Amino acid sequence: MSHSKGGQTPSGENPERAGHEESTHKESPWRSFHLAIPYFKKHWRRLALGFFCLMVVDTLQLIIPRIIKHAVDSLQTGTATTETLLFYGGWIVLIAVFIALLRYFWRVFLLGFSRIMETDLRNRMVSHLLTLDRAFYQRRTPGEVMALTTNDLSSVQLATGMGLVAMVDALFMGLAAIAFMAYISPTLTLIAIAPMPILALLTRVLSGHLHRRFRKVQEQFSHMTEFVRSTFSSIRLVKAYNQESSQESRFDELGQAYVRDNLRLAGIHGTLFPISGFIGNLSMLLVLFYGGRMTILGTITVGDFVAFIAYLFLMTWPMMALGWVTNLFQRGVTSLSRIQTLLEEKPIVETREDLPGTFYPPSGLRGEIRMENLSFVFPGHKRPALRDISLQISPGTFLGVVGRTGSGKTTLCHLLARLYPVQDGALYLDGLDVNDLPLSAVRGALAYVPQEVILFSSTIAHNIAMGKKDAGREEIEAVARAASIHDEIMAMQEGYDTRIGEKGVNLSGGQRQRIAIARALLLERPIIIIDDGLSAVDMETEHAIIRSIANYLSGRTCIVVSHRVAPLADAHEIMVLEEGKVVEVGSHEQLLERGGFYANIHRQQTSGG
Amino acid sequence: MRRNPARFQEEKDFHAKDMKLWKGLFPYILPQWRGLSLAIVLSFIVTATSLAIPRLVQVGMDDHILNESLSVAERFQGLSLVAAVFLGVILVGFVTNFFQVVTLEWTGQRIMHALRQGLFQHVVKLDLSFFQNQPVGRLVTRLTNDIQNMYEMFTSVIVTLFNDGVRLVGILAIMFWMNWRLSLVLCAIFPILFVITVVFGRLSRDAFRRIRTHLAEINSYVQETIWGMSVIQIFLREREAHREFRKLNDRYYDSAMYQVKIFGIFMPVIEVMSSVAMALIIWYGGGEIIRQHMTLGELTAFISYIRLFFQPLRELSQKYSIVQSALASAERIFQLLETKDRLPVAEHPLKDFPVRGDIRFENVSFRYAEEHPVLRQVSFHVAPGKTLAIVGATGSGKTTIINLLERFYDPWEGRITIDGVDLRTMDEHWLRDLVGLVMQEVFIIPGTIRENILLDGKLEGLDLESILELSQLNSLLKHLPEGLETRVGEGGMDLSAGEKQLLAFARVLARNPRILVLDEATANVDTETEMLIERAIQAALSSRTSLVIAHRLSTIRRADRILVLDQGRIVEEGTHEDLMRLNGVYHHLQSLHDGKGLRLSGGGPEESSP
Repeated sequence: MSHSKGGQTPSGENPERAGHEESTHKESPWRSFHLAIPYFKKHWRRLALGFFCLMVVDTLQLIIPRIIKHAVDSLQTGTATTETLLFYGGWIVLIAVFIALLRYFWRVFLLGFSRIMETDLRNRMVSHLLTLDRAFYQRRTPGEVMALTTNDLSSVQLATGMGLVAMVDALFMGLAAIAFMAYISPTLTLIAIAPMPILALLTRVLSGHLHRRFRKVQEQFSHMTEFVRSTFSSIRLVKAYNQESSQESRFDELGQAYVRDNLRLAGIHGTLFPISGFIGNLSMLLVLFYGGRMTILGTITVGDFVAFIAYLFLMTWPMMALGWVTNLFQRGVTSLSRIQTLLEEKPIVETREDLPGTFYPPSGLRGEIRMENLSFVFPGHKRPALRDISLQISPGTFLGVVGRTGSGKTTLCHLLARLYPVQDGALYLDGLDVNDLPLSAVRGALAYVPQEVILFSSTIAHNIAMGKKDAGREEIEAVARAASIHDEIMAMQEGYDTRIGEKGVNLSGGQRQRIAIARALLLERPIIIIDDGLSAVDMETEHAIIRSIANYLSGRTCIVVSHRVAPLADAHEIMVLEEGKVVEVGSHEQLLERGGFYANIHRQQTSGG
Repeated sequence: MRRNPARFQEEKDFHAKDMKLWKGLFPYILPQWRGLSLAIVLSFIVTATSLAIPRLVQVGMDDHILNESLSVAERFQGLSLVAAVFLGVILVGFVTNFFQVVTLEWTGQRIMHALRQGLFQHVVKLDLSFFQNQPVGRLVTRLTNDIQNMYEMFTSVIVTLFNDGVRLVGILAIMFWMNWRLSLVLCAIFPILFVITVVFGRLSRDAFRRIRTHLAEINSYVQETIWGMSVIQIFLREREAHREFRKLNDRYYDSAMYQVKIFGIFMPVIEVMSSVAMALIIWYGGGEIIRQHMTLGELTAFISYIRLFFQPLRELSQKYSIVQSALASAERIFQLLETKDRLPVAEHPLKDFPVRGDIRFENVSFRYAEEHPVLRQVSFHVAPGKTLAIVGATGSGKTTIINLLERFYDPWEGRITIDGVDLRTMDEHWLRDLVGLVMQEVFIIPGTIRENILLDGKLEGLDLESILELSQLNSLLKHLPEGLETRVGEGGMDLSAGEKQLLAFARVLARNPRILVLDEATANVDTETEMLIERAIQAALSSRTSLVIAHRLSTIRRADRILVLDQGRIVEEGTHEDLMRLNGVYHHLQSLHDGKGLRLSGGGPEESSP
């Protein structure tokens, strides 16, 4: 049994990919932090101002307990009057208003920074994605890439926004509170911070587990997602086979497993979060006990003791925050390193936009193609996909390419369309080496119809006119006629304005393929390559359509690939590929006469019906 | 007060809608009342312990540390006692907190599981007409993300709202109990707080809504870009695509900054209010001490309590966003749950009678929704064991005939019978067991190949060996190390289109239906596989009544009769030879031989795009 066309494309990318992932795993994800550094550099004024505001806020906040201390002390000694109390209260409100003002600024500066960075990173990712080539999209599923631009980006945003703020704030507040406490009583301060190392240790131990269990939960979630997707996308079959209740119980199993994984995660959460509160309270207990004794003995004043307690309450927030921040930073950095990996992806075809594109506009190209000893090995593969292919295609030639699945037809198309770079040998367009031309010049010179058809959720007319937005209806109809799809489009209720895709009409595979061909014809490029673009119609139809296309294109170079032989009978020249090599070249009649490989397949395919 | 009455109306509607949503959620929350009450009880204990701490500090100070009437030793002893109680309290607090988190997780997950399962059950049972125009991605989002979205509301918000409410009341009660005059003074700031919160609530909801909308736009744009990347690149449209994306991204940035500013105003204002309260305590409370209405310890406790009092208010904005986004999800989920369009079920559905496989369509007309008719007065008869091929352009109604025979829909007019029995009086599941369907698209359940062939049923008629033989699946299994036990689907092996097709034939043979329906769109397969499929078709068709939407000339020629459909009407009928002689539509369709370039039929619906 032969595999689908997909099998022919590099499954050999996998070893390379595995190795790649391993190497990123080994390195610390903090390495990716340098991705963020330029943002810090560029916006340093904004950041400095923001952090300055933040720290002033924190300092002012620390002054309030001092005012309270003075008030309490004066009450204790009996020197307080209503006026002095009003004075203290007035100061507190005054400072608070000032704090509020500064708070607004740090929020706008610092949280704004995270939004700037998020927006710019997203921009970079999308513009980078637009440059990546086939080799990349073969390796990564759309879902994976989507997750990077959504989930990962938002965790980076959280880490650089609230995460960064909370960390600076917690450190500053924590240290300042400790400093104030130490100023009151160093001994008591030591006692108060004694339990904290336990917290640090526990967090370290537990966060590893947290990470693993969290990943498990995420995986289970994606299983559920995929299950729902596959069920509803095949709902007709699910119903036809009475699988509703079976699917329900299968889904139930997945859901139960998801619940289980979440509970396991909760075991860690449940310990990690209350523990920081507990440790904070333990400090309070120690201060109450030892501080109380010191107050009784008169080592410290009552006012000192009250202030100390107040500072300790101030410490509770930074302590809780540190656990939360650690978590945010872990996720942020993990995500940043994933984004980093994406941004480091290089298209294996160099764009070479620095080179002059000699034949702009592309119509300036005559359409001559020359291959010299062209060989190609997929990265990670041992066996070459193409070996020593040499052929001269003069302008206006209709070239047919046939061969079995896996014989290298598609790879040849990919090389011609420069989806992969020329590794070995040379490829000339109008006598110019493609490696010495900018990518956009090469792509602009040819129209390539790949095997998999991609149509957008829009009208048929819009899909055909994709490459030429200002195309008139007559032009669109002309190419649709050439691709033998016009009559079928007209048979639909709304003709060319029929919506396809989601919320629209479902087209058959053959119709989709012909629309894709029409779309490419409209580009009017000097060279057109159709890679098995009619596999979903039967052989006789394919033959007729190819004939019609060839007539339409007359004068332009046209390369048509098919796994079937008969439809290419009208080609000026047919190249037969087998295991990456050219085994025969000639016209249909010549090849049949020769009685070789071509004649063999021809017999096989025409007798099958 | 409000300048805009329309806005007020909208607001009121919104609250009414919110109430309806809560009512809808209630049946899912109710079964978990034990877990929820336990969580609430536990959260009370947690709250009580956290509230007890300032009080214990105060007792320690007033009764022991500062109590000059006692000797130093007595004060030490009392302090130790307070410390012991303190330790006990925080230990209890810690343990209860742990159990509270776990209980909440359990309860929240159970509620979500029930909701998810309920939604899945509901949706999977809906008629096909519902799925007709429903993008799969949207359904997936409802069942995964939207339900996930509600999790935090079930856990943190429901319980903490309860908890926060009780906490606020508790703090107020303690404060009033300690000194009601000071507490009354503090109450003066409540109206201000209330107004601020309401105004902020409205602004932040607006901000969240904007962010959500723009993010959704960005996501769908990125998705389409990634999916259509090869086309974008081949057509050299990268720059244009990026420019369009930039616009969306900038819009998103603006709305994100708007939200930052809204919060940048609200959060500091709440803090100012907290400081105002503090100042009131110092000023008025201090005065109370001077007037000897209050102790110093009580003042300290007041300061601590007012801090605790403002904590929930600080978190309010965060919770608000959780509830907003959860309710938005709930709304969409309930919309889906309220969809009811089931086909009428017969009172005493017929089943389990012997069937010869005689199919009759009598003047059947049909339309999807309010559109134009898809089938008009279609009548035909397929005798037991015969094969009928249906040919016609896309939209001519071929697939609809199959949909009606499977009773995915009922005809608008006329009737369909099997062995003279109207489909509408039959048990729908039994009917679908009777009619085997093979189409180009194959649905794979995550599991082994054996499980995928048998599904949940047992073998009827043939043994597995001969099924594999007949469906040509043998040649595939030979290549697989684990044979029948090879896992396929997600996380398992990827089958090619051709292999899936053969699997579908094995599946239908295993179920041994009396009637076979073949939506025979040729998959993207090579010659060898095509030959295997050809053989599998022959095996499947033998001795069954068959309805075939045909593409392959070989299948069409083999059919006992051919029906030519055009715009929902039968225009020609007969054998291949008859129709060729007729020199009509069929002949025209066949004329592709002469290079006119038309194909026989548009084929079945395409599998969903990659």
